[in-house]
Amino acid sequence: MTDPGSREEMLELVALYALGVLPRDQAALVASFIANDDGARDEYRALRASADALAFSADEPVDSARSVRMKERLLARVSAEAAAGNGAIARRRISTNSGWLLGTGLAAAAALIFSLVTVIQDVSLRSDLAQAQRRTASLTTQLADTERVGQHDRQMVTDLVAPDARRYEVAQGAVVVRGDRVYLALSKLPALPKGKVYQAWTLPKGATAVQPSITFPPNAEGIAVVALPADATKLGAVALSVEPDGGSKAPTTRPIFVRPLS
Amino acid sequence: MDPVVRLMERVRARDVAAFESLYDSYHRLVFGISLRMLGDPMVAEDVTQTVFMKIWTSPDAFRGGSFVAWVSRVARNRALDVLRSRGARPETELPADLPLDGALDDEILERLDAERVRDALSMLPAEQRAPIEMGFFGGVTHQEIARRTDTPLGTVKTRIRAGLRTLRNRLAEGVPQ
Repeated sequence: MTDPGSREEMLELVALYALGVLPRDQAALVASFIANDDGARDEYRALRASADALAFSADEPVDSARSVRMKERLLARVSAEAAAGNGAIARRRISTNSGWLLGTGLAAAAALIFSLVTVIQDVSLRSDLAQAQRRTASLTTQLADTERVGQHDRQMVTDLVAPDARRYEVAQGAVVVRGDRVYLALSKLPALPKGKVYQAWTLPKGATAVQPSITFPPNAEGIAVVALPADATKLGAVALSVEPDGGSKAPTTRPIFVRPLS
Repeated sequence: MDPVVRLMERVRARDVAAFESLYDSYHRLVFGISLRMLGDPMVAEDVTQTVFMKIWTSPDAFRGGSFVAWVSRVARNRALDVLRSRGARPETELPADLPLDGALDDEILERLDAERVRDALSMLPAEQRAPIEMGFFGGVTHQEIARRTDTPLGTVKTRIRAGLRTLRNRLAEGVPQ
């Protein structure tokens, strides 16, 4: 990604990201690029302002009857909630926040919910209870997985481009820390020999030996963006090495980098 | 302090009058975005209700920056959810919901109005304006834009970037740097 042609291509993707037209898989990679490139961050900020401004073009007068109707409905709900007391509001706020976070996985989740309903209908029609229970259990697991993936992706992209994220540069990109979350945003990883994977390692503060973390392959362009399952506030360093497929309990090759988080 | 920020603080304190003021100021924008994206006034009305209920129930979700940009993104996100639920649409990723930390950008956004943005948009060449509007209001990926307009993917990317840059420069005119 260092040659001018590739960089221009990445900056075009930054524009698409600012407009919100990138598929989710590419969005995370572009967020990584933005996180690691000052020029990309400037471009993103400028074009994001343009994209945000587009919303204004939809600002049109609303039919007065509709406007009044919407307002009455809203104020009735809001006033009722305000009168219901802070305890009830707090409970509802937690519930509403949870639902909102599922935004990116919503379509898949909706499809799975639809499948669950279909299965339940299936039970009453066919009385094939055991089979339906197995399908229900499988779909429920898928639904939970979909929700987790959606939240995880959104959180990762948010963290990677956040102005308050701390970036610890390495030759291949950066270790990005935000709050208690830690990510590898790498873009110059050499292709792996067959049967090998990249493995991350974490060194807890005060420890002398690294602990094994996740393994991952980069994509065809040598890009990998991964979240490490560790509490960033308790880490002293992050390392990366090439290991046999399946990972190792301790590094078996010279680390590609060891990056202190300080 | 920004009057909208002050209103949001009052909303956090469960002030219904402050919430009503926000509704009066921004419901046209929220309804307009929803209607433009969904094409159905009744569904747009429901999305508008959802967006304002989010403001009421989760005022902390607004973490500073331009309120109008934030509420627009919330409206667009909700409308995209509706579009996705209608059929097999590829999942696009809206930019992270973050305040922009450049004062200039917030300054631009706070000084905008619908007419000014429409004027700036209308000055873009049609081949730049069309993919930008299709992407923003249609909730489709750049690949889908290329397919629908029968345009090479690389050309779509270049036009979107050039159009957004031109738009930004036009909208920034007159804003103190």
